[in-house]
This record gives sequence, structure tokens and C-alpha cells, in this order.
Amino acid sequence: MIVAEQKPLAEIKASVAQYEKLLILGCGTCVKTCFAGGEDEVATLASALRLAFKKDGKDIKIEELTVERQCEDEFIQEAAAAIERNDAVLSLACGAGVQDIASRFAASPVLPGVNTTFIGILEKQGLFIEECSGCGDCKLATYGGVCPVTRCAKKLFNGPCGGSQNGKCEVDPETDCAWQLIIDRLKALGQMDNIKHYIPPNDWRPSGAGGPRKLFREDLVV
Amino acid sequence: MNKDKQSNLKQILESGGFAVTAECGPPRGADTEVVIEKGNLLKGYVDAVNVTDNQTAIVRMSSLAACVHLKQMGLEPIMQMVTRDRNRIALQSDIMGAYSLGIKNILCLSGDHQTFGSQPDALNVFDIDSMHLLNMLKTMRDEGKDMSGFELNESPQMFIGAAANPFADPFEYRVIRLAKKIEAGAQFIQTQCIYNMPRFREWLRMAREEGLTEKAYVLGGITPLKSARMAKYMAANVAGMDIPDEVIRRLEGVPKEKAAAEGIKICLETIAELRQEKGVSGVHIMAIENEAKVGGIVEAAGLMPRPKAV
Amino acid sequence: MTAITEKDFKPVITIFHCINTFSEAEALDLSGDNCEIRSVKLACSSMVKDVFLLRAFEAGADAVVVFACPEGECRYISGNLRAGKRVERVKGLLDEIGLDRRRLALFNIATGDTDAVKQATDDTLEVLKQLGPNPAA
Repeated sequence: MIVAEQKPLAEIKASVAQYEKLLILGCGTCVKTCFAGGEDEVATLASALRLAFKKDGKDIKIEELTVERQCEDEFIQEAAAAIERNDAVLSLACGAGVQDIASRFAASPVLPGVNTTFIGILEKQGLFIEECSGCGDCKLATYGGVCPVTRCAKKLFNGPCGGSQNGKCEVDPETDCAWQLIIDRLKALGQMDNIKHYIPPNDWRPSGAGGPRKLFREDLVV
Repeated sequence: MNKDKQSNLKQILESGGFAVTAECGPPRGADTEVVIEKGNLLKGYVDAVNVTDNQTAIVRMSSLAACVHLKQMGLEPIMQMVTRDRNRIALQSDIMGAYSLGIKNILCLSGDHQTFGSQPDALNVFDIDSMHLLNMLKTMRDEGKDMSGFELNESPQMFIGAAANPFADPFEYRVIRLAKKIEAGAQFIQTQCIYNMPRFREWLRMAREEGLTEKAYVLGGITPLKSARMAKYMAANVAGMDIPDEVIRRLEGVPKEKAAAEGIKICLETIAELRQEKGVSGVHIMAIENEAKVGGIVEAAGLMPRPKAV
Repeated sequence: MTAITEKDFKPVITIFHCINTFSEAEALDLSGDNCEIRSVKLACSSMVKDVFLLRAFEAGADAVVVFACPEGECRYISGNLRAGKRVERVKGLLDEIGLDRRRLALFNIATGDTDAVKQATDDTLEVLKQLGPNPAA
């Protein structure tokens, strides 16, 4: 999922302080699964903000609503009425969702309530780790299912570097060296030949080096 | 700049000599005096000098500039290039610029991650890795083309080097990677500093078995330890460093004021052992902020005088 | 504005309790001249969602208390541990809001230990003497 983390309460409070009627809009997909912006988080945040403002003597009116996703018009429009009747929207969706709302409701200030971070997985209870950087040209078959672009801090295609020690990355002793993982995996699969010879440099255009990307699926258009 | 003259280091190695190289870290500022001072400490004692490229990701005067300063005072520089800070466009550009200024040796590295340095907030690059950089240099030199296939109006005839770390993991893959580097274009190899001789010997044996020591010149890394504290610090904090307990104990076993001398003794022993090893073509003395000691080490190791540059 | 004195301040405490600790708060007769007790009965203490604790403060509680089973005795194995984690998180939120984490506490109560309940209530009232009324009520 796309992993995000809710912004600190103080930062959110400061960004919405000028509004009398606020809509907190949650998203039921990625941010719900990483406990940053689903309906539970919307409810908790709304309550916390009301208390925080009440303490300051301000009686802010907060509407709480969550839609399935904020990256598709079909679901965004379900929030249209709520967006119209409030002074501002605090969206707990990822950055894409926030922008999607903002582009469709240009008259409404739309503020981000989470910091969107990475594409990752839930490794174990409470631990989300980054595994994919959306490079646009997946090479996981070569590397035994471990991504050197995302998980090697130096994006080495012919790793490891000289800083790999005891299977850990020089950047963080808690982080596995991706190249150790690649080598272990390829050994287990009997595919060490994949990395025996020179692997050429990457073309970074599919990764976004050429500007914001788009995908047009003409076959889906009726 | 006489560009037709060959790299001095290349000539010495190709003629079968035992080469001596050292390291010079540029200053954190634009002061050339620092570079000149270090150059003066090394002049006459070494065949070539590595000039580091924002080592440990701390912003310093560029390697390219410092190389030119050293060249102007009669030393032969080895320009280190890391792939951390510059993309393939900038790297190719700098290679051409370096050659035009008379630099003939380049050492290719990925580079220490910027989280260690003075600008952890910077966006890192790592557009290509050190293997790609080696190959880029080889292509530019032998085919006269840049990475895009464009024919250069003059191709940089660089002597290409790479680093190797016999002490990093995974151990068994290190020699495969060394083979890859040589295949990509590495002609000389400088290793991480050696304190664990048995592990180094094992790595060297594996390299010899693969025929790699016939294809590239291996220079063993040497760093004099100044104290037990320095040894312990390096062992704990420098990635890929292997300092056995017995080395630390040796340093702890002498009075503090004698520790530096003991460290030099250890260096000299290591150099002597390296000279016995088949497949080792020289030593690379990395005396970090301790360049004054290099001359003494080279002399005491019986490696003087250095061959005159042709 | 005159400060609310000890005499004028009649604290409101909202209790969230697992039915395994005790079945009816009213039966314990904790309310009195000196405080008002509101209670919420739960099948397991782990059902205290963050938002319920916060809404209790919105509804006027000066302090919120969660009674959970002692460690190792939760009927649902780890419900009391979950409750503990949630209470910790909300305590952090209370600090961020500016309400002070001491207004929220979790007590582990063995089944039917009414003395422990009374002690917990007294402890909470003591804390409230220092903190005063909920500034966001």
C-alpha cells in the first residue's frame, strides 16, 4: 500500500485554525490500511481538534466523512455536498488524493493531514517498510525478488558496496543490505548467474526522471 | 599540459614495479595552501596521489581542482570519482575536463552515503554505480564514444582504477564482484586498509585463482593507526573495516605516547608481508590527516627511491 | 474570573470498564458529593477505541479511567494489552492537545476487587485536585 503518517497535531491545528467549519475527509484504501487516514483516524483527529480548539476558546465545527478512495472521481463526488458546505477540507488521503480533491473543488482550500511516504508492505505488526519506488521498469526477476533500486541506499545495479557488513546496510544497522538479500535469494534459487556479469546502467525515464508520468489506457475508454 | 605523456602509475605497474600511492583529502574551503602542504609532504615518496571526492560525504574542494593543484606542483594525481553526487552527464563532462587538464588516472567509487556527511539533507544521485563508471571510462578511452554513443573529438586516455574491500560482506561474492569490475574496465585496484592479513590473503588467493591478479594490479591499502582509541573507533564506525582484537591489544599494550610508533610498526609489518604476496603490485597508504608520516613509512619499508617519472 | 476552588469543583470521571472487572458501576456507589461518575460498560477493555476516550472528554469528563483485567487474565487473551496500548497513545494525544496525559489512566482490576476500584477512583480525584477541571469542557 501507499504508506503515510499523520502529521503532528500541532501542525494540523495551525493549518486549520482560520476556519469555522471544517470537513475532515478520510480515505478507505491505502491510508486506512496503514492507520493514518481511515474513518477511525478521522474520528479520533476530529475529536482531538475539537478539544484542542475548545481549550483555546474556539468552537470549531468539524464534519467527519470517509470515502472509499480519493483518487477516483466516482468516490470523490460522494463528498461533493460535504465539501461545499464547509469552509475547508482536511484530507487524510495520500498526496494524490489531496490533489485530486483540490483540482475538482477549486474554490475550497484543501489541506493535507498526512505525510505520504512510500510504497510498502506491512512486514510485521506495526512495521511498514518501503519496497517499491515505482521505477517503471521492474527488474525483480533478475534480482530474485529483492529490489536494488528501492532497497539499496545507493541504487546499485552491481552491488554490494564496500559498506555492507554482517548483512546490514552502512546507512542504518537495522536495515538489511539489499545486496546481501539478493545474493542469498539467488543462491537459494540457483540463479547466481544473474549477477555474475556486468549489468548496464538504468534508463531512468520510466521512473519519472522525465517529468510527472501518465498512463493512458485507451482500451478502457468507452 | 602534455597530454601525450602516459600515466606514471601505469608505467611503473606495467614495468613490473611495486607501486606506492597515497591519499590527499582536499580542504573544507577554497584554500590551496592546504593542498600544496599535503603535496609537499608526499612529493618524492609516492608514484601517484589519490585525491578524494567529498569523502564521507563531507563537502570539500572538488577532487578535480585539487588534482590540478597537485599536478601543477609536479605530483601525479589519481582523481577519485564517486557516483553519489553527479549523474552520468556531469561525470562524463568532468572526465573530459580532467583529461584536458592533464589528469590521467581515475578511481571509480560509489561513495559513502550522504547520511554520514555534512549535508544529509541533500538529494543523492546514484544515477549510475561504480561498475557503470568503470565501463564508461573504458568506452570513452577505447571506443572514443560517450555513453550515448556520440563520437568524442578526443578520447580521454585514462588509467582506470577501482576499489575493493576484502573485509566487507558477503565475503564469497567479493571476488566475483572484483571480476566484474575488471571486466568493466578496472586496470588497478586499491583495497580497503588491511589489518586482518589472513582474511586478505584468503581474498587474494581467490582472486589469483580466478586469474584476476593477471588482469589488474592490486595495491594493498595501509592506514597507520595512531592509538588504540582510533582503532576501536574505526572498527566500530567505519563501514567495511576489519580490525582484529590482537591489533587493538598491541596498541593497548604500549604506553600511550608509544602507540603511534607501534601503529607504524604494524604498517611496516603489513607492507613487508604484502611484498611477499604473489599478485600484490603495490601499496596504497591512506594516512588520513596524517600525511607527514607517509614519507617515513615509505623509507622504513625500503621502498625508496621512487622511480623517476618518464 | 474567579478561579474554581476545590469547593466548587465537582469532578466528572468517566469510567470505561470491562464486565469482567465488575458488571455494574452503579452497584459500587462511587458517585457522591465530591464527584460524578459516568460509566461505559464494555465486553472487553480492548473495545476502548481512541475516539471513545476523547469523546468522553468532549462530553465533559475531567478524567477518564479504564478498568481492565490483570495481565494474563483477559478472557480474550490480549484485550487488556491492547487497551493499554490505546490508552498510551491517547495519553500522548492529550499532551499534544494540551489537556495533560494524567487525566487518563488505566487500572488493572481483578474480578470483583471493589477496594481496588475505590482506590483507583480516589487516586484519580487526587490527580484532579492538582489538574483542576477539563479546560476543553
